[in-house]
Amino acid sequence: MKHKIIISAAIALVILLLAVAIGSIFVHPWEIVRIILHRTLGLGCVEDISNANNAIIWNLRLPRVLLAFLVGAMLSVSGAIMQSVLRNPLASSFTLGVSSGASLGAALVLFTGLAFLPMMTLPVAGFAMGMATMVFAITLASRIDGMMENNTIILMGMVISMFINAVTTLLMALNREGVQRLIFWQLGSFSMQNWMPVVLLAPILLVGILVTLRYNRELDIMTFGEDNARTMGVNLRLVKWALLLIAAGLTGSAIAFVGIIGFIDLVAPHTVRRLFGSRHIVVIPLSAIFGGSLMVVADLVARTITPPNELPVGVVTALIGAPFFAYIYFVGRRRANA
Amino acid sequence: MLKLAGIFAGYGGADVVHDINLTLEKGENLAIIGPNGCGKTTLLKVIAGLLPFRGTVEFDGICASAMKPRARAAYVAMLGQISPVYFSYTVYDAVMMGRYLHNQGLLGIPSRADKDFVETCLATVNLADVRHRGLGTLSGGQLQRVFLARTLAQDPQIILLDEPTNHLDLKFQFELIDYLKNWAAEQNRTIVGVLHDISLAMRLSSNVMLMKEGRTAALGRADQVLDGKMLQDVYEVDVAGVMRETLAIWENLA
Repeated sequence: MKHKIIISAAIALVILLLAVAIGSIFVHPWEIVRIILHRTLGLGCVEDISNANNAIIWNLRLPRVLLAFLVGAMLSVSGAIMQSVLRNPLASSFTLGVSSGASLGAALVLFTGLAFLPMMTLPVAGFAMGMATMVFAITLASRIDGMMENNTIILMGMVISMFINAVTTLLMALNREGVQRLIFWQLGSFSMQNWMPVVLLAPILLVGILVTLRYNRELDIMTFGEDNARTMGVNLRLVKWALLLIAAGLTGSAIAFVGIIGFIDLVAPHTVRRLFGSRHIVVIPLSAIFGGSLMVVADLVARTITPPNELPVGVVTALIGAPFFAYIYFVGRRRANA
Repeated sequence: MLKLAGIFAGYGGADVVHDINLTLEKGENLAIIGPNGCGKTTLLKVIAGLLPFRGTVEFDGICASAMKPRARAAYVAMLGQISPVYFSYTVYDAVMMGRYLHNQGLLGIPSRADKDFVETCLATVNLADVRHRGLGTLSGGQLQRVFLARTLAQDPQIILLDEPTNHLDLKFQFELIDYLKNWAAEQNRTIVGVLHDISLAMRLSSNVMLMKEGRTAALGRADQVLDGKMLQDVYEVDVAGVMRETLAIWENLA
């Protein structure tokens, strides 16, 4: 199993490199490697590479591609956790209100012109509101149902999501001039980014993956049902809270910077499970690698297919993701049963 | 080993079982019988820690409510009806999950002892040959044997059975009960079984608890505490008569 992870990581690296190379100007991958080595480790000499290329690669494409990878990885790990914890193949952080909360946060910031932090107001508000919404949904669910059954949690998340969406829509109706910007944010985009979110998100992803791996067996066991997990010795309440918070934190911090991008969190973990089995010690790291790569490809398509305009990346993830998902699901199933 | 005293429990504030008292020694089995809705499964859920209750549940004199989930799972495991499998694991991986509470490692990488134990469990239920198959490819009988092996891998003092033979063919029903009886006899462990089928229940244990409307109607050795009149009273059908009629049909076939 280890070599599968290594091969996948190698393929992901190639995809990353190609995504950085391709754009309005093609830059040779070897030049990219040299620029990276020079900038990070001070190795070699890059005087034969034009300043324009150097700047494009280091200031624009590299942070953008890395950010796409991080966001894709975070959403996928989050999706993998949610599907297993809630034992529902269609569950995601979005089901529990993270995205509607974040949208409301973004709407409040955009419509009121609030700015409590330079550059960071929108991401912080989005993250805080997204997390708060989910924590509120789960707290309410656990008050109503002491055993915290999945159906109660999902139902509560959906009810609160709908309510908050209604509030956001109400705000949109009252503030027509800011609507355009909010819709753009909701569609998701990696344009106009710099190194700052990359540096902030990378450690969050790393910690998220490590803590989730700590619970890999609990995740395995929980897919067989809650009563099962309890009688096998899993401290269900604790583990469930911990994992749901990690999942929401990953989604919340990812969408805080780039807006709401759907589908990756559904497609990537499912595909990984079909191809590599369901054990979470494999599913979690591979979801990160696969989801990250998928997002990089989606963003590459979004920025290159209709120059000079960019497509919203959320549209591309759905357009590529849906048929790919169908293919993997049905072909993979046939193979698994053969 | 297991002691229940003054157990009341139910759903949404209404009690389904009333004042259940029971003591089981190590190595002693018990079959719980009774008609639908008499509280058999509710009582099992109380013992398994799946349902809030009033009263006391003790394992070896230790109050169950004060136990951590892992400590409790070391005492009591549960085998229920075949549960749907959402994500496919191999037979081996599924059985290895039973070792969860015995492995406290950070990532839970199985130890040599865990692997040996799982091999023994697989061999016990005759699944060693299909260990690398996916659960989705197994028949119902094989799948239930996987869950049985996982329960055995948990290595508990008590196994609770909640109608585990439902949806299984007659052959698998007998097989399952025989596996469990052998395990309990060899390891000096305890089985508490809720079985729909009275004859299957008798096959598991001659020690029975008959429940009616959430209360104990009879408790003890079947031949001493049960009689046709009592069964007819609880099940509202002439159980012995039906059994005799069934037997007559088979004898005619033979």
